[in-house]
Amino acid sequence: MEVVVLFLCVITLLAVGVPIAIALGLSSILFLLVLGDTSLASIAQSLFQAMAGHSTLLAIPFFILASSFMSTGGVAQRIIRFSIACVGHMRGGLAIAGVLACMIFAALSGSSPATVVAIGSIVIAAMQKVGYTKEFAAGVICNAGTLGILIPPSIVMVVYASATDVSVGRMFLAGVIPGLLAGTMLMIAIYVVARIKDMPKGEWNGWSEIWNSFVDAFWGLLLIVIIMVGIYGIPGFTGAIFTPTEAAAVAAVYAFLVACFIYRDMGPLAETEDGQPRSSVMHKPQALLTSFVHADTRRVLLDAGKLTITLMFIIANAMILKHVLTDEQIPQRISESMLSMGLGPITFLIMVNVILLIGGQFMEPSGLLVIVAPLVFPIAIELGIDPIHLGIIMVVNMEIGMITPPVGLNLFVTSGVARMPMMGVVKAALPFLLVLFVFLIIVTYVPWISTWLPTSRMGPEIITN
Amino acid sequence: MNSVAPPHRGRLGGFFGAFEENVIALILALMTAMTFLNVVLRYGFSSSILWGPEVVEYLFAWLVLFGMSYCVKITAHLGVDALTSLLPARGQRITALIAAIFCLIYAGLLMKGAWDYWAPFANLDQTTGRWFPTGLDENTRENGWYETRFVPMPDLLRFVEGWLLYDGDPPFQKLPRAIPYLILPLGVALLLFRLIQATIAIVRGTSSSLIVSHEAEEAVEQAADKLAREERT
Repeated sequence: MEVVVLFLCVITLLAVGVPIAIALGLSSILFLLVLGDTSLASIAQSLFQAMAGHSTLLAIPFFILASSFMSTGGVAQRIIRFSIACVGHMRGGLAIAGVLACMIFAALSGSSPATVVAIGSIVIAAMQKVGYTKEFAAGVICNAGTLGILIPPSIVMVVYASATDVSVGRMFLAGVIPGLLAGTMLMIAIYVVARIKDMPKGEWNGWSEIWNSFVDAFWGLLLIVIIMVGIYGIPGFTGAIFTPTEAAAVAAVYAFLVACFIYRDMGPLAETEDGQPRSSVMHKPQALLTSFVHADTRRVLLDAGKLTITLMFIIANAMILKHVLTDEQIPQRISESMLSMGLGPITFLIMVNVILLIGGQFMEPSGLLVIVAPLVFPIAIELGIDPIHLGIIMVVNMEIGMITPPVGLNLFVTSGVARMPMMGVVKAALPFLLVLFVFLIIVTYVPWISTWLPTSRMGPEIITN
Repeated sequence: MNSVAPPHRGRLGGFFGAFEENVIALILALMTAMTFLNVVLRYGFSSSILWGPEVVEYLFAWLVLFGMSYCVKITAHLGVDALTSLLPARGQRITALIAAIFCLIYAGLLMKGAWDYWAPFANLDQTTGRWFPTGLDENTRENGWYETRFVPMPDLLRFVEGWLLYDGDPPFQKLPRAIPYLILPLGVALLLFRLIQATIAIVRGTSSSLIVSHEAEEAVEQAADKLAREERT
């Protein structure tokens, strides 16, 4: 079968170290030239149209930019302080606070490795200081860091939405309950372990510390509110205010203003290298202009630009692959043969689980999603699986793939950040990995968890944007 | 796993390095500002710039197609290194070289495609041949008169009319498509150029790979240093 050749070609190219984007693009081009009658010019056109013809994908650069302004060390520090104030006094409190901090930061950053790096570099050291083992600390952060792609706004969900033409707004809403559930399950597991092993607990600093740390973290947290209220409106008060793309652009501008003028972690008002403290706009009014061209602003724009380019280059090439799949009607043929063999939705979902768990170990989630989604999506629709539910299943699968031994991506990142051998992180992460596995089974076989919120908020049928 | 950008060689290299970075930062800033401006206009002034969204889409294409070569230069493209990292140094070099050859084939094929797509919009000839350019097709349809949907034609660019329009054609009301589409052949040519450079670097042994395995690879080292510092205190 040609499809097997196509995918073997992609996998072989990936294995020798060809960039994901080029592996997808080259395999598809060869396939189209050998078997189809497509010209190279129309392939180049689909590459261009991936950007110029998809307003959904435009949300990606803006979300990345917003999170780049927000994922500075200063914001992570404030979120961690707030988390510790809330739950630090419980047994195993600092670990639970680490999970909470990862959940909040995940909502700001939308990337799992970035969450591990930002929260892990602070929390792992803090946990060691009060008597946790480094292994336990690394295991907790490694698992909690994966929530980054499940809690909205999530870049991976934007990618899924654009690959399958479902609404971004629905995907984001669908991620809310599973995200909270996964976080809560992890926290409960930690609490139980902490009780059994008699782990340290922090001090209760009173409601005033909760309030103060909340005020300090408020401007960061408000970003999530702007995005969610912007996309969905306030029930009973106002309808949707922005499209997801506009919400992302507004969030990026907001994050820039907060980072430069309120938190002053970057830009002309920030603390200088020679120890001059942060200055006020009142004393340096020219900052209102210079902050736009400040070296820090340029650096954040460049970083966000780089990430956008690498992700979009993959997605643009995946559009060529999608072109192949549609031309050859490959998904339809697979689903026909699956149906004729008498395979039902459950078997299909198990297959999807296995494919993504294996793939998620090797590959960055957005890249994996653009390969697998166009293939399994038509089959799932044929089998009567809800597209939103399928999206959440795929996201959760990739989360778990990232921490599944032997080579999960988050395991690598954590072992790099904590300077620990891989096996140490694997062992430490294992108990919590089991928790997330249970979570995967729940999410896969209880569609209600993913679909209830978007259906009740946005109505049952698919609203295309 | 070496994601460190090579130092800019010489004054010319330094100039182009800064130029590429500034263009990427500037395009992203313009996209954000334009989208934000339209939201402000809609809620604050009940109006909008009609051509705003279309320009943002073209800028998006420019960002990615211009930037893909830059990301080859700084080794930022994502890939899978789980298997190649198990090989000894010599094996890694051989696989990197094989990977580089595949990348060159990709860029070469795409170069022909990008030219063939853009050429009719610029009243130039497409190439003949299916896989490789075998010659120029003189019967290429000349689509220079094609305009974008909403983007107005700046007077500054009127000089292209002599080249894209024929006698008797009305002057451009909107920007001709040849201009935004120009990034396609330009970007792919830059990609091909940077890939050739990257291949040479692998042959010479100054670089060992074309890929990184995730987007935060640079940040991991910094975070590890920070953590190690905190542990000592």
